[in-house]
Formats: sequence, C-alpha cells, structure tokens
Amino acid sequence: MSTQYSILFKQEHAHDDAIWTAAWGKSEADGSETIVTGSLDDMVKVWKWSDEKLELQWTLEGHQLGVVSVDISHNGAIAASSSLDAHIRLWDLESGKQIKSMDAGPVDAWTVAFSPDSKYIATGSHLGKVNIFGVESGKKEYSLDTRGKFILSIAYSPDGKYLASGAIDGIINIFDIATGKLLHTLEGHAMPIRSLTFSPDSQLLVTASDDGYIKIYDVQHANLAGTLSGHGSWVLNVAFSPDDTHFVSSSSDKSVKVWDASSRACINTFFDHQDQVWSVKYNSNGSKIISAGDDRAIHIYDCPM
Amino acid sequence: MMASFGWKRKAGEKVSKSAVKQFEAEAEKPEDKGPSQDEDVDWLHAIKRRREILLEDCAAKSKRLKEEGALLAENGRHWEAIKKWDEAIQLTPDNPELYEMKSQVLTILQEVFPAVKAAEMAVKFRPLWWEGWQTLGRAQLNLGEVELAVRSFQIAIHLCPSERTLWQEDLTWAWRLQKQQLATKEKIRQEEETKKQILNAPELNQDYDFESDEVLAACVAVAERQTRYEELKRTAVVLDAEGNVKNVLAGEEGSEDTATPSTEQFVKARGL
Repeated sequence: MSTQYSILFKQEHAHDDAIWTAAWGKSEADGSETIVTGSLDDMVKVWKWSDEKLELQWTLEGHQLGVVSVDISHNGAIAASSSLDAHIRLWDLESGKQIKSMDAGPVDAWTVAFSPDSKYIATGSHLGKVNIFGVESGKKEYSLDTRGKFILSIAYSPDGKYLASGAIDGIINIFDIATGKLLHTLEGHAMPIRSLTFSPDSQLLVTASDDGYIKIYDVQHANLAGTLSGHGSWVLNVAFSPDDTHFVSSSSDKSVKVWDASSRACINTFFDHQDQVWSVKYNSNGSKIISAGDDRAIHIYDCPM
Repeated sequence: MMASFGWKRKAGEKVSKSAVKQFEAEAEKPEDKGPSQDEDVDWLHAIKRRREILLEDCAAKSKRLKEEGALLAENGRHWEAIKKWDEAIQLTPDNPELYEMKSQVLTILQEVFPAVKAAEMAVKFRPLWWEGWQTLGRAQLNLGEVELAVRSFQIAIHLCPSERTLWQEDLTWAWRLQKQQLATKEKIRQEEETKKQILNAPELNQDYDFESDEVLAACVAVAERQTRYEELKRTAVVLDAEGNVKNVLAGEEGSEDTATPSTEQFVKARGL
C-alpha cells in the first residue's frame, strides 16, 4: 500500500495509433485483473495486470475503423467494444474470441456501458436515443428517447435504478430504468459532455465537458452540487473510485487529476502524458488508476489507500 | 547601382513587407516622453509594453488581411487570396484558421501537396478543431493518400461526431476508396503469386516416371494455374452500389470453362 500518488508503470507504444478508450475489470472466476484498450488503429487489446506490470494477452481484430469505447462486464468475463464502423462487438476475455457482432446502424454506436447485471449494453445514438442491446440476444431490445442531440456519454447507476446520458449540446438526461421514464433533463454544460459517471452509492453524478469544467449533481433532487475548474482544456473522461471518496479526470491539457469527493479539491495532478488523455479508470478496489491517450501510452498510477 | 544589390532585396523579401512596415512605423513614432526627461526609466517595462502593442497591431492587421483574403477567395481570385493570407501568416504565424483557409483554396487550385502542408499546420496549432482535420483529410485524399485521409476523417468525427457531412461524405467516400485500394493490391499480389508458380511449377520440380499418370496430373495442374492467371488478368476490382468490393471480368465472356483447361494452354504446359 502506498502513501502517496505516484506513477507505477508505463506501457509505451501500446497501440499503433491514439488510444481512445480503456477499461479495467476483475475476473470473478480467478480474481485476475484485466485491462482492455481500444484505439484509432482499429484494434482492441486485452492486457493482464499482474506483478505490477502489463502483459498483452490478446489483440482482438474485427473492427474496421477506430474503436471509440470499451467496457468490461461486472463479472470480468466479457468485453464490449464500439467502433466508428457502427458495430458493437462482444469478446470472451478468457479465450479472446468474438462472441457477437451487432450492427448498430450508421452513426449509432458511441459509448458502450454494461448494465449492473451485465445483461444489457447501452449506447447512445445520433438521434438522441439510448439504445439497449441484449448481451444474450445480440439484438436491440428497446430504447429510451431523450428527444435531444447526439449522445456522447452513457452511465448506469450502480444500484441499477438510473441511466444517465450526456449529449453533444451539453444536456444531461436521467432515466428511471424500471419505468423507462425520463426523470430529469439538466442543462449541465454549454458544450459537449464526453463522459459522466455515478458515485458507487448512486447518489452523485459527475460530468465532464469540453467547457473545461467538471460538475457534480445530486441525483435524487437533480441539484447542482458543485462546479470544479482546474483543467486547461476539454475534460475528456471522469471515473469514480470504488470507495466513494475520490474521482479522477483526464483532459486534452495532457493531465490526469484526482479530486476529493467531499472537499471537491484537486489533490493530485499527473503530468506524465505527452498528449491528450482520452481515458481514465480506477481498478476494482481503488488502489490504482489507468490512463491512456493520443501518445499511445498506457499509464498505471498508485493511489494511497 | 541599387539594382546590382539584388541579394539585399532578396533578403528583404523574406521578411513580410507588412511586418517590416509595422516595425518601421513603430520605430518612427515619436516618444511621448523623452527618456532623457526621466532618469529612472523602467526600461524592462517599457520594452515589454512596446512588444505588447506591436503584437496587438500584428493581430489586428492579420485579421484584416484574413478578411480581405476571404473576400478575394469568394470572388474566385484564389492566388491573390493566398498572397493576403501569407502576409497574415507572417504577422501571426500560429493562427490555424489562416492555414486552414489557405489549404482549402490550394485544393481548389489543385496545388495538392502545398494544400496538405497548410492543413497540417492548422491541426498542429489547433488539434481539437474538427474542421482542420476535415480539411487535412480532403487535401490528403486529393494527393491520393487515402489511408491518411481515412485517419484524419476519423479524428474529425471523434472530435465532433454530430457532424453528418463527416460521416456521410468524407469518411464513407475515403473508406470506400481505401477498401478498393486494398482489394486491388490483393489482386496484384495474387496475380504475381500465380505467375511465379507458372514459371516455377512445383509439380515439375520432382522426378517423374514419365510413363505414369502423374505427369498428366502435373500438366493439368499447371494449365489450370495458367487459366487462373489469365482470369485474374482479365478481371478488374470494382465497387457495387453498396460499396462492396468485387472482382469482375473485364471482357464479355464468362468463366464457365475454368474447370476444364483449354487445349491451347494444355499444349503450352507440356512444352515447359
């Protein structure tokens, strides 16, 4: 256990082009930690994190254009990836084989997110609809309509009650999953929302925008609880730590910032990337952070516990 | 006399005329307060202030030149527009919009390589600007750099996925060309491979009992390969309406007889 924030590991040249997305999962079966990355080079790569280093396990070929988003199911067995070729693919992480390929229709696959029970995958669409695909069926099961603009970001609340979407015009929508009803529409930002995340207790929603700000909302009352500044450019990704105390953000200003959830102060800034940082995530116990971006590098940081 | 000092004039031309004028005008400006009047001149501050004024003036002039260039470009006076923008670039060398507009006009003028160079400067100075990447992609496509164009359009879409023209026109078209290029490359490779095998048939590299059927079998194999080669040479890579790549016979005759080699080729194979 470390007592301060520090960079632990760098995987240079992890892909042949910019890395746009990364996910960190843990296998329920054997407890092993898996990282999945997606890149402009059309590849999805699966890495094992063990003995404080990354080991490439699979290079998954199939997407014909850049990979925009990846997510790992909550049992750590399946990865989902979406690409500019408008396909969502499901991969078996154990065997490295493709399980399914789903045609989302032109322009209709952006961020992918597994539901908390991992039975569904949600993705945004250009018409403002959130499309829900069945993992088992491989088909679109239903959709939720925001009646808004292109949806860039999607998040399920960990308690399974809510689904939040962030649009290119800065509007946030929160749905009640059980009824499919649109609960709240928030004029969150004036610019695109590239990422949003719920706190593990599902009480807070954190949003990241091209306007350079991070906003925190109280989910139940849909109140703005705080606006955070600090990044010098677009905020590209946000992720909450599993213990509810911190969240992390990455930006096109090349930095990764760790924030205290209660004081809302930035408590650490990593300036280790050479270029825009598109993706940032915590591992399952919050002891590590992963970041990746345009410099094709994957960084792993140590967090004090 | 003056004309003989051509080198001096040339050296002067490298510096933008407007920039020079700007500096000269500044230098000629009479100082409001003579420095001799004040013993404790804050020289450092004065120089800094002067520099700021100069930069502000450069920006204002550049903006005016940019607008003049845009007007010229609109009226089809493309080369004149580029001249204005080049002057503006001398004043504000890190303004991405100047390079981006210049690239567009260079593309119109079919100056394909300079167009790529200009757009590269635009994305260098403003990497989050999707229009810059779109213009770069279009310039690269004009240069025949299909793969690079596909990459640039993808970056543009990743920055602004709601921009429909990027999907429907730019990426779709460039991606289709890329697929066609790959299919053509693959066909050439196959042709080469088949040709190599005809000239150096593996069946003929072993010792045969010339009385056996093996010889006949080998000849048939070689002849079949010859037919395949002729076939490959006769086909062309085309794209159908949906953008799928297909190999299509260039000639009007079909390929019904591919299974049974023609007698003519059969003779050729034997003659090896």
